[in-house]
Amino acid sequence: MASIEAAQAELENGGPMPRYSTNISRIVNSRLYQLTLGAAVASRAGRLALLAAVPLLWLAFLHIGPIYQMAKISFLTSYPLQHGRPASYTLANYAIFFSESIYFMPLIRSFVFSLASTAITLIVVFPVAYYVAKIVRPDWRSKALLLLLVPFWAGELIRTFSVIMLLANRGALNFLLRDIGLIDRPIPMLYTSFSLGFGLIYLICLYMLLPLYSAIDKIPKHLLDAAADLGAGPFTRFRRIVLPLSRDGIVSGCSLVFLTCIGVFATPMLLGGPTNVMFPETISGFFHGASDKWPVGAAFALIMLVSALTTAGIFMRLVGGKATKLM
Amino acid sequence: MRAYFSDIPRTLLAMGYWAFMLYLLVPLTLMMAMSFKDANFIAFPIGDLTLRWYSQVLHDKQFLEACLYTIAIAVATTFAATVIGVWIAMLIAQSGSRWSGILFALACLPAVVPGMISAISLRVFISTIDMPTGTGAIVLGHTVHAVPFVVVMALTRLRSMPPNLVDAARDLGADSIVAFFRVTLPYLGPAIAGGMIFCVLLSVDDFVRTFFLGGYRPTLPMLIFAKVQGGMSPEINAMATLVLIVTAAVGLYAEYMTRRSRSR
Amino acid sequence: MQPVVQFENVTKTYGQAIAVDDLNLAIEPGKFVTLLGPSGCGKSTTLRMLGGFETPSSGRILLAGRDVTHLPPNKRNVNIVFQDYALFPHMNVARNIAFGLELQGKSADAIHRRVMELLRLVRLEAFAERLPSELSGGQRQRVALMRALAPDPQVLLLDEPLSALDAKLRQQMQIELKAIQETTGKTFLFVTHDQEEALTMSDVIVVMNNGRIEQMGDPHTLYSHPNSVFVANFIGEANLLKATVVARDGDRTALRWNGLEVQASATGHPAKAGDAACIVVRPEAIRFSGSPADGVNAMPGKIRQRVFKGNHTSMLVEVSDGTHLTALVHLGDTESIAGEDVWISWKPENATVIRDEAVPA
Repeated sequence: MASIEAAQAELENGGPMPRYSTNISRIVNSRLYQLTLGAAVASRAGRLALLAAVPLLWLAFLHIGPIYQMAKISFLTSYPLQHGRPASYTLANYAIFFSESIYFMPLIRSFVFSLASTAITLIVVFPVAYYVAKIVRPDWRSKALLLLLVPFWAGELIRTFSVIMLLANRGALNFLLRDIGLIDRPIPMLYTSFSLGFGLIYLICLYMLLPLYSAIDKIPKHLLDAAADLGAGPFTRFRRIVLPLSRDGIVSGCSLVFLTCIGVFATPMLLGGPTNVMFPETISGFFHGASDKWPVGAAFALIMLVSALTTAGIFMRLVGGKATKLM
Repeated sequence: MRAYFSDIPRTLLAMGYWAFMLYLLVPLTLMMAMSFKDANFIAFPIGDLTLRWYSQVLHDKQFLEACLYTIAIAVATTFAATVIGVWIAMLIAQSGSRWSGILFALACLPAVVPGMISAISLRVFISTIDMPTGTGAIVLGHTVHAVPFVVVMALTRLRSMPPNLVDAARDLGADSIVAFFRVTLPYLGPAIAGGMIFCVLLSVDDFVRTFFLGGYRPTLPMLIFAKVQGGMSPEINAMATLVLIVTAAVGLYAEYMTRRSRSR
Repeated sequence: MQPVVQFENVTKTYGQAIAVDDLNLAIEPGKFVTLLGPSGCGKSTTLRMLGGFETPSSGRILLAGRDVTHLPPNKRNVNIVFQDYALFPHMNVARNIAFGLELQGKSADAIHRRVMELLRLVRLEAFAERLPSELSGGQRQRVALMRALAPDPQVLLLDEPLSALDAKLRQQMQIELKAIQETTGKTFLFVTHDQEEALTMSDVIVVMNNGRIEQMGDPHTLYSHPNSVFVANFIGEANLLKATVVARDGDRTALRWNGLEVQASATGHPAKAGDAACIVVRPEAIRFSGSPADGVNAMPGKIRQRVFKGNHTSMLVEVSDGTHLTALVHLGDTESIAGEDVWISWKPENATVIRDEAVPA
């Protein structure tokens, strides 16, 4: 009987009592809180300080700080600085870059590979993104996208390593070609420009997919319907509607892929072989061992940063989209 | 999907999709398959199968230590990057349009700086503040790298938040801090969860920053890198397969969670 | 009785724009007061200043005699029901309502009792565990109302809370809102641009325009005796006739309009003989007859248009100088059809004299 009554009472009161947070008032009314945070948020200045101090310090010190310091030591005549001796500045570290082809060739190579990879990635991924965004049935769309994202979570090194499985002399591709009798001896594919390009594209293609997908996904379908209704064929629709309207996605995707590609360190070392030294490897040479070569390395890094960002900037200006969704 | 689309060569596009899919999955599948090869070298065909590489890896002290070390770094990174990222996002959301643009660009800076440059500049930076290389430096570097992603995710969610929610909390007696913890933070929940998992994956995957900022204790990517350079055996495949399965599962789960929260 | 809310010379400017212009307003406790006006008239700003979300550029705001002009929202004993309800999406109904109580430091038991008491008031006891996303628009509205009432505020502020509901539900909620106000005895300050809402619920309506109060009074007075063209037009429909005052005699004013001498009631407008003035005649005050009626305010006209509106019929009558008057007739009042000649008239007490102004087209 008692339990029935309790149940009855419970029913009348809308079920068991929810767990209310009574602690919140205890905290807020405690002396400690009142004197510290409570006092701080009571004034406009206090609120602003609480909101802005940590983020601003972080941005200034850790987002700008490293680049600033790197830029600074790139002009130093000697590093590390010795006590008592004033720092003296020079442009000599930059001059070294232009002095020998073993220094500037890797940068050119990095640019060529990155630009080519970006272009190939765009051409390969665009139809895929279009297919998923506009042709796959809506209820299958997120699954189709998810399937593409699986390798995305594998990480740089594992993906690079898996490319070795495919392209090595005793890798799957050579085995397959030999097995069906196309070749007698393995084609050396690994440690060539081919394996490097293949690996780079394999590494970065998904960075292109997401911006493109979200841009194409946003194109209202009725625009395509309207264009078709007005007599535009598939090619015209693509050129006049799909392409211009996915411009933002193209710009963000290409910038992201290019900037990622040019900064990749491990993949060229594992796939590129000795004749394909990329600029990051050149830079890293100055940072092994003692720090007296750092100014040159920093100068090289700055050259790369500026040229890469300039390239991305020129590209954005030329294409004219907004890279709002860079990530 | 009416007639307008059917005249775009749909079949061709579908084939393209599956070819691309194949391109993405084949190398990873080969890599995983090789982990079962019963031989001391990597070569196709695979031939006899064995699980001994897995048992070897799971008893490999170096591997297990690297796992723990990687996870510890990822946890610290995630915690720091989430706190700072959300904080920055709050500041951006509440500043005027002129400031918010500048702050947003600044917040995104580490994400557009190529990885190598980022690593080098951080290496230089920690030496100018007399910080030794090692765990602290790695966490710092990973955090700087992860913050922009948290900022973007948190900011996207913040911008979709009805402006009256915080007003309502304040109206009912909450000061700014209480309103943040009781209303804004729970509202950000899904974005923060997604951002955190993203931070974990960024940290676990990162090689170049760890390479330049780390000391002698290897993280997983460094261990794999060293092993790949030092001559290959299917042991690496077993190792990579384990890592891949865990990270892919975490990534998929995150994707599933964010999608579910978005559809709600 | 001491007013619960007082605005003293409150002005709010945004740069050059004046949102609220030297507002003086006192609100008596226990009343349902409505701020009525078109969008941009300053009514929402007034509400937000009372809530603490805006600070006046000058002037003072008193809450039960206490100066609260510069207090933040969390330190004021007023609560707002927001236009979009602003229910916390991650908290269930009970937790939403409890939010203010939790911050007051009440015990869990006390909080629960209060929450359930409020839920019973709106018959939502069974929904305590639901999330806001699982409620209908009307239910959300009630929860928002109860959440704002829970901490027992001195004044409850309602910022166009019914605008998100469909027409039928809106009418239901008007009645329910008024009932809740009467049960709880709270002072409600309600902001709306909908004159029908204002007329249905309010004890006092404050009509605002361009940051100023146009007129304040009970619904009946405002409707039957507007004191400006703006109020006459904003609340209900009005025929506005430009006339000249001939004489004033007690509660009657005689005016010359359109070659006729017409009579209207004399209200606050102090018109002297010879002044230009405006006569407000509500459409429903116009009566039809086939022949000259009793002689007061009677004039011939021709029906130009007859529009059936369901529960009434709207007639457009053209009188001798070409002016069109709108009249409203109910079923069976007249069978006259368009094109027919009729006589119309109105009772002097159903027409009001206001000061002469440009009549908006």
